Amino acid sequence: MDKTLIIGYGSPIRGDDAIGPLAVERLVERGLPAGVEAIARHVLTAELVTELAGRERAIFLDAAAGGEPGTVQVHRLEPDVAAHSTMAHFLDPSELLAWCRQLYGQAPEAYLITATGACFDYAHCQLSPVAEAALERLLEQVARLWGY
Amino acid sequence: MSRTITIEPVTRIEGHARITLQLGEDGRLEDARFHLTQFRGFEKFCEGRPYREMPALTARTCGICPVSHIIASNKACDHLLAVDIPPTGEKLRRIMNLAQIVQSHALSFFHLSSPDLLLGWDSDPATRNIFGVMRQNPELARDGIRLRQIGQTIIETLGGKKIHPTWVVPGGVSEPLSAEKRASMLKLLPEGLEIAKRTYAFYKTLAPKFKDEAAHFGTQPTLFLSLVTPQGNLEHYDGVLRVKDAQGRILEDQVPPEEYGHLIGEAVEDFSYMKFPYYKPQGYPQGIYRVGPLARLNNVQACGTPYADVALAEFHMLQDSGPIVSSFHYHYARLVEIIYGLEMIERLLKDPAILDTRVRARARSNRYEGIGVSEAPRGTLMHHYRIDDDGLITWLNLVIATGHNNLAMNQSIREVAEAYVDGNAIEEGMLNRVEAVIRCYDPCLSCASHAFGQMPLAIELRDAAGRVVDRLTR
Repeated sequence: MDKTLIIGYGSPIRGDDAIGPLAVERLVERGLPAGVEAIARHVLTAELVTELAGRERAIFLDAAAGGEPGTVQVHRLEPDVAAHSTMAHFLDPSELLAWCRQLYGQAPEAYLITATGACFDYAHCQLSPVAEAALERLLEQVARLWGY
Repeated sequence: MSRTITIEPVTRIEGHARITLQLGEDGRLEDARFHLTQFRGFEKFCEGRPYREMPALTARTCGICPVSHIIASNKACDHLLAVDIPPTGEKLRRIMNLAQIVQSHALSFFHLSSPDLLLGWDSDPATRNIFGVMRQNPELARDGIRLRQIGQTIIETLGGKKIHPTWVVPGGVSEPLSAEKRASMLKLLPEGLEIAKRTYAFYKTLAPKFKDEAAHFGTQPTLFLSLVTPQGNLEHYDGVLRVKDAQGRILEDQVPPEEYGHLIGEAVEDFSYMKFPYYKPQGYPQGIYRVGPLARLNNVQACGTPYADVALAEFHMLQDSGPIVSSFHYHYARLVEIIYGLEMIERLLKDPAILDTRVRARARSNRYEGIGVSEAPRGTLMHHYRIDDDGLITWLNLVIATGHNNLAMNQSIREVAEAYVDGNAIEEGMLNRVEAVIRCYDPCLSCASHAFGQMPLAIELRDAAGRVVDRLTR
């Protein structure tokens, strides 16, 4: 099992929300370093906890809404049992980490890198120009984190 | 002064809803309603689209059960093409449909309902959640995750992705199964079946503790509707429609799914965006029926797989005679169906013909009307399309599994509220039971209401004039 897992998530048909899955696509195209695995998901679902178990580091990539479009931010994540969602089909990354710690003894060191989107209208894997520019900056942050 | 209690949103279900309980002057229940308050309108905005887009479009109804919509929608398209799909194409579709049922039932039982079942309806709501379950029974929680993962992995192996796969197409499936993929799926099944059997055995030890809830959680004498095989056995993909009453009498049998309109009418009420389907011969609102795992097991003599048939026999013994009427036993029925699903997937995968490369019939549309019916995790799912000469949708109707249960859910809420809610001293545990009876049905409201957006859970108390006098939210 690779020690670092990157999970890019978001809807591919809601404009800039696709930035997470597209970032993963870009990373895989350019080649991942040894020890790094990247997967794309529509939403974070319960079974992803088994993917996190046993990893040293997890990097979540997501679009953000609100704030200045194009802004890229890196957040350190901690397991959070209070983050549990009322919805059945998607989870918060901090909730996933809490599941992981509770069920498998430990959770990986984790980060969330977000890029603020400008437009979330229907568009299949098509980013706005500002999100497209932010995607490159997001990938730079990913490279900084996996190179630890 | 009479009051109304509103529970909003109803938690640990898929989608967003509100419950209102109307109390009279004496604090006793006068009425109870289950509201879907948001609207999406798939039936309208799909008009004018090419029929071949319907599987992909209607699958977007839901992130939980897209596979169910893909199956029913493609069956409606098969009907438009007027083709019989190749047997191997049908078997492959069956595997995906069963994998969807396994993963969906696992989510319902392990993640949504187990906090009530393990920790109790009156336990602290702050810890009555999946984390509470993990603390009390981590093995059960791990089993739930693994079982869901097995179902999702089978869907992904077949369809290329877990959510919204495009492998099922009008006329069959787009690609045959490779030997490697078959082997990888077969490898998962022993572990899945082991988990399913272990959970079933565990639940059997737990179930006797819930005699009181089983006696009050939706025990109304309704009808039961489902697909069955022509021989009257369990069926999730094709077959014929059967309606049975609460005494076990078969009222309708061997009804071709295309004739669903003879059995089912759809009413609307101004307090909900969910339709109110009813059994036409009995009229509205008397024609209450239930669908889903409870109805499916009530309607059949056998599942057709070894361990599930043992479990089915035990399920039928939950009552002295007749169909099992308590909606509480949806939980039990789900576990039986998980076992069945895994056993049947294994049987289908071991069929040598499953690797046949003829998996798709090709044709243009040859009818103006197509109807596709299958069993989704929550019950019978119906897609009905009409097209013009250019193959564009002129009209469509979706009768959603959760919608069939709408009348029954409303009645169940009334029954539970009458049994547990004292309007003079409302406690959280009372209201949780009102929510829990809804969870028995595992409603998928995104599908049923085509709801969009998010609502928090709230309970409102209204006076006789309908004014809100108290409100509890979380």
